[in-house]
Parts: sequence; C-alpha cells; structure tokens
Amino acid sequence: MKIRNLLAASMACVSMAAGLAAAAAPLPPATTANIEFWTFSMKPKFTPYFESVVRNYEAANPGVKIEWIDFPWDVIQTKLVTRIVAGTPPALVNLNVPWADEYARDQLLTPIDALLGPARANYIPGTLQDLTFKGKTYGFPMYSNVAVVAYNTQIFKAAGLSRGPATFDEQLAYARQIAERTGKAGIAPALSKIDGLFMWQGLSVIAGGKAVFNSPQHVALVQKLAATYKAGGLLKESLFAEDNFPAVVDAYKGGRLGMLLAPPTALKRIEADAKDIYAITGVAAAPLGPTGIADGGWLIHFAVPKGVAPALLPAVGKFALYLTGDASQLAFAKLASVFPTTVKAAADPFLLALPANAGAAEKAVAVGAVSMAHSHTLYVAGIDDYDELRRSLVKAVEAGVTGKQDVQQALDQAVAIWNKKLGKQKLAAPGPQR
Amino acid sequence: MKARSTLRGARMQAWIFLAPALTLLAVFSFWPVAYGSLLAFTDYSLVREMSWVGLDNFRYIFDNEMFVTGLKNSLKFLLMVPVVQVGAIALAVLVNNQLPGIAWFRAAFYVPVVTTVSVVGIMWGFMFHEQGTLNYVFMQLRLANAPLGWLTDDTLALFAVMFVTLWRGLGWYMVMYLAALQAIPKDMQEAALLDGANRWQQFWRITVPMLRPTIMVCSILSVLAALKAYQEVDVLTQGGPMNSTFTALYYAYDQGLKHLKLPRALAASLVVSSICIAIALACLRYLKPRHR
Repeated sequence: MKIRNLLAASMACVSMAAGLAAAAAPLPPATTANIEFWTFSMKPKFTPYFESVVRNYEAANPGVKIEWIDFPWDVIQTKLVTRIVAGTPPALVNLNVPWADEYARDQLLTPIDALLGPARANYIPGTLQDLTFKGKTYGFPMYSNVAVVAYNTQIFKAAGLSRGPATFDEQLAYARQIAERTGKAGIAPALSKIDGLFMWQGLSVIAGGKAVFNSPQHVALVQKLAATYKAGGLLKESLFAEDNFPAVVDAYKGGRLGMLLAPPTALKRIEADAKDIYAITGVAAAPLGPTGIADGGWLIHFAVPKGVAPALLPAVGKFALYLTGDASQLAFAKLASVFPTTVKAAADPFLLALPANAGAAEKAVAVGAVSMAHSHTLYVAGIDDYDELRRSLVKAVEAGVTGKQDVQQALDQAVAIWNKKLGKQKLAAPGPQR
Repeated sequence: MKARSTLRGARMQAWIFLAPALTLLAVFSFWPVAYGSLLAFTDYSLVREMSWVGLDNFRYIFDNEMFVTGLKNSLKFLLMVPVVQVGAIALAVLVNNQLPGIAWFRAAFYVPVVTTVSVVGIMWGFMFHEQGTLNYVFMQLRLANAPLGWLTDDTLALFAVMFVTLWRGLGWYMVMYLAALQAIPKDMQEAALLDGANRWQQFWRITVPMLRPTIMVCSILSVLAALKAYQEVDVLTQGGPMNSTFTALYYAYDQGLKHLKLPRALAASLVVSSICIAIALACLRYLKPRHR
C-alpha cells in the first residue's frame, strides 16, 4: 500500500513538473504556410546550400515551413504532371525555358506577374523576356549559363593557332586545321540541337507556319559542317546524340579534342578529373552569332504550378523572391560557377574580377559573365510534337553531314515531313523562335 | 454422388489456392493491360478530359516515320532468334560434359543474364568505342584499316545492339537447354550406341527430338524478347545513328515515358503485342512436338 501511494505521489509530481515546463517553454509558432519547392539534379553537391536557404528563411519567417525536394532532371516532369493532376502540386518547381513554354501552353503554370511586383526591376530584362509567353511571365529566374570556348593550348600550338575563334566560321576553320595538323578533332557541336544552331546563326526554322530550313543559307551552313566532318574536324562520337555533353567532356579530358564549347561548370569538372589538361586549357568568349546572341544560353527558373492554393500565393511569391534574390543567386553562382540573373548579383566583382592566380575555371566565369548580356535560350516554341519534328531534322542533317545524302535533298525531305505535320496543326503563334 | 462431391471440393480447393495469385495478376497485370488497350483508342492525357478517337492513334503511328522504322528494326531483331537458339544449344551441349572447371564456364556464360542493363551499356559502350577494345583487336588483326563506328555508323549500329542483346540472352537459354539435356534418359543414348549410332546420329535422332519442347518454349521467349528489345537501345544508342536502331518498343517508351503521349505509346505497344501473339501462335503450331 505504501509503495502504491509513493508511486502515485511520484506520478503526480512528474505530471506537475511536465505541466510547469510546458507552460514555461515558448509555444512554437503556428504554421501559417507550408511551402514545398522542387529542384532538379542539385543533390548531393548543393544540399548544404539549399538546407541553409531553408533554415535561414524559416528562422526569419516564423510560421513558414519550407520543404525542399530534389529530383533527377529526367524524372521531375513526370512527377510534376502527376502531382498537378492529383491536385497537390509543389508551390515552386525548377524548370528550363522550353519546359515552361510547354507547360504554359498546356495551362499547367500560374502567371507570376502579380507576385513579382516591383521586384521585376531586379532581374536582367532578357531573362524575364525568355519566361514571358503571350504577355504573361511564368517564372522567377534563378540562374543562367552561357558557353565559353575552352581550348587545349598544346593542340592549338601544334596546329599553329594562338587565340580562340571569333566567329563560327573561324571555329570550323580551326577545327579543320587542327584535324589536318594533329589528327585530332577540333570541335564537337551538339548537332542534335541543330535548330538552335540555325537560330543562333540568324536562320529561321519556321516562317509563316511553314518549315524553311532548306534555304540556300541553311544548306550552306550544313555543307560547312559536312566539310569539317569530312576533314576530321568534328568529334564523331555522340555527334548527333540527344546529349553529347558527357562524351565531349570526356574527349576533351582525354586530350582528344581541341576546343570545348561548354559552360564554366564544365571547366570545374575538368579541373577535378584531368588536372594535366586543365593546366593547359585556355579560355575565350564563345563567338556571337550574326544575331548577337551568345551560344549555350540556358536559363533555369522557379515556376508556380497550376493548382497552388490562391491563399498560399503571397507566401510563395515572397519565398521565391528570397530564393532568387541577389544574395541567394550570388551565393549559388559562387558555388556552382553559373551566372546570376539579377542585375545587382550579375555585376558583382566576384564574377568579373580575376584573381591573380586565376585558373581556366575562374577565367571562364569572367569571360562568361561578359557574354551573359547576350545570353538567350534558343528553341522553337509553340509546336505540338516538336521533338519528333526535330528528330527528322537531325536525321536529315546527320545524313548530309556524314555524306550519306546530298544536303539539299536531305533538308528538302525533312521540310516536307515538317510541313505535312505543321499543316495539320493550328499554330496559335507560329514558332515564336528564341 | 460422393465422387462428384469430392471433385467439386478439389476444384474449390484449387481455386482457393489460385485466388491470391490470380488477384494479384488481375490487379497488376490483367486490369492495366485491359485499361491500357482501351486508352489506345482515346486521346487520354493527364491534364485534359479524355475522349474516344477510334483508330486515330494507330493512323498516327503508322504515318510516323520513326515508328515504321522502329517496327522494321524490331522485325530485323528476329534474325537474332535462330542464332541465339543454335548458340545456346551448342553451349549447353558443351557445358553438359563433365570436364574440369565446367561449373566455372556455366557460371561465366550466365553472368551477362544477371548483369544489369546499365552496366552492360557502359561496358559495351567502351568495347564499341572508336578507340575501344573491339576496334583495337580488329586493327591489330588487320581486319579494319580505320576504327569502325560500331555505334555511330548506321549500317553497323543495329547489328552491334543486336549482338549485345544476343550476348545477354545466350546464358539464359543455355541454362534452359542444359536442364533439358540433363533430363534426357541416359539409357536411350546407350541403346542408340548399342545400335551402332555415332555421336552425330545420337544428337540428331535423340537429343534434338527430345529437346523439341524446350526449343519451342525458348524460341517463343526469344521471339518475344527480340520484338520487345529497347533497353539495350536506350543505353547504347538512344535510337541513333539516323534512327537506325530505333525499335517499335523504344518508340513506345519514348512517347509514353519521355513525352507523356500515352495513347500513342499504348497504340504502339498494342501493335507490338499483336505481332508477338501472332508469332507465338505460329511457333506453337509449327514447333509443337508431334506425337506419333
């Protein structure tokens, strides 16, 4: 009996103490907003960065709960569509410009003009232009990339070259010279994105709702590529692959390629994997096409999917502005060797000033930062099944470049396929080409 | 009366035992197949209302150069079937002998079967590379003057991919034939030996007829695997160069999972399935063991 009383008294004491402690401790703030945001291919390298962003934002905004989820890039679209259909979309999602264009056409995104407000002036105008479809803006720019020309100075020396190419024609001429004098490939353009190459060179892919890439100018461009291919100037492996980037970087790292057209991030990879090649790498600005556009522009942004609760939108907008604000963008750019898309961060001395012992990667960032003003994402927008059409174009270019078919004939056949398909489509805004 | 009741009880018992597996099959196989087949006749989209479009998706894919090329390439993959079967029988006969280290050889031939396709892709990517092992060997043996574009030349790439598919499948069929060989009663071969049959005659008159049911099953499985080839394509060439390795099922995968055009993907899958069923029925009819 005594024991039972003792036990009861102890329980009462513990309960009282717990009650007092609970009363004394500050109450956690009531959650006012749960914001889930998605990125692609950021883990594990940028995990500390995103975790610190979440931590800092939650600390500064009591009651707001942020959840960060990262997906591989080839999975994120399926996940996103599934969640939109299920009515539980994330509040913000990382997209590139062609994806955003497609989703905006399918009305799967919410315009963010109202959320941008006066902060619109903070972003580089060209980046917001890239995200504006039918007069509405669909994303908060996060970072962009632009290509630079990295070149192997030893191969250049052996080929009798001393500086980076200034034009695309010169780039092809260099490639032929490298092949002729060293037996190595000069360049490895991503010919699966030949449509972007045409546009970069000021040649339309579609005009008046019809494919027009069989003009004499288009044919001449493909013939130049064919001549360079025949001379051994183009890297053959993965030349027409959907993603030739890994093969191209490997070839450069292996000393088999004279020039690498890639964003500064690639130089970081070369620095880590092939120190000997990195040590003999020179950097030049990527040539501007006749359009004045720098090649390799690739804007990544945060979009707001359709179905995000209207009551949550102000909190989402506030967080998106923080996530893509000057400080966040600059911090991320420093980590990832990419370029910020806000005016202030893009002008930061970190990007433009070269340290005394600057390596190729730092030089690439400085060179790229200058080109950023000319950076745009080049793609053909507003066409259903565009990917299928693009493949028929790539196949024609492949046939022409590799000498399997006459260039004019191959392009004519592809144009016929395109026009047959385009004829069945109602082009709302025929090919707003970037 | 009692016998009928016992029979009914036995049937009931059989159904009860089958029920769990049948339920799983119904939910995860039969229903998706039936619903998927239905969707091939609609304009189903994850984001829009669905409507019936009849044969539009089939018209679309047959009007599509990539699918037609893919279908032709899938049919070319069938060339691989006799090669795999003959190779697997030869290997099985070889490893059926009691030789020193034969267990190691059996395991070695089976390794490709259990190797994941991504590893296979990386490995054969190196082998087929312009500066890879295969070109090195070919050039050392003076079989080629310059590196061959195994995966970049449209006249070679399909055969390179087919070879990898063959290499992956050989071990699997070898094991099946090995099991069948070991099930052939020894006394039949001994009787033939006593009758004066040489090894070649024993093989053709006893081994092959006894293997016939296994040949039928393996041929059907091999035909289905050939028509359904897409994994090797994905890891080695992604359909290139010049769509020369695009297969019908790779088209379905590309449309359905990469571009979320599900009705087209399902229509393509239905076409492939129909061909698979037709060829399987033909195999059943012509390769079925004949009992005299």
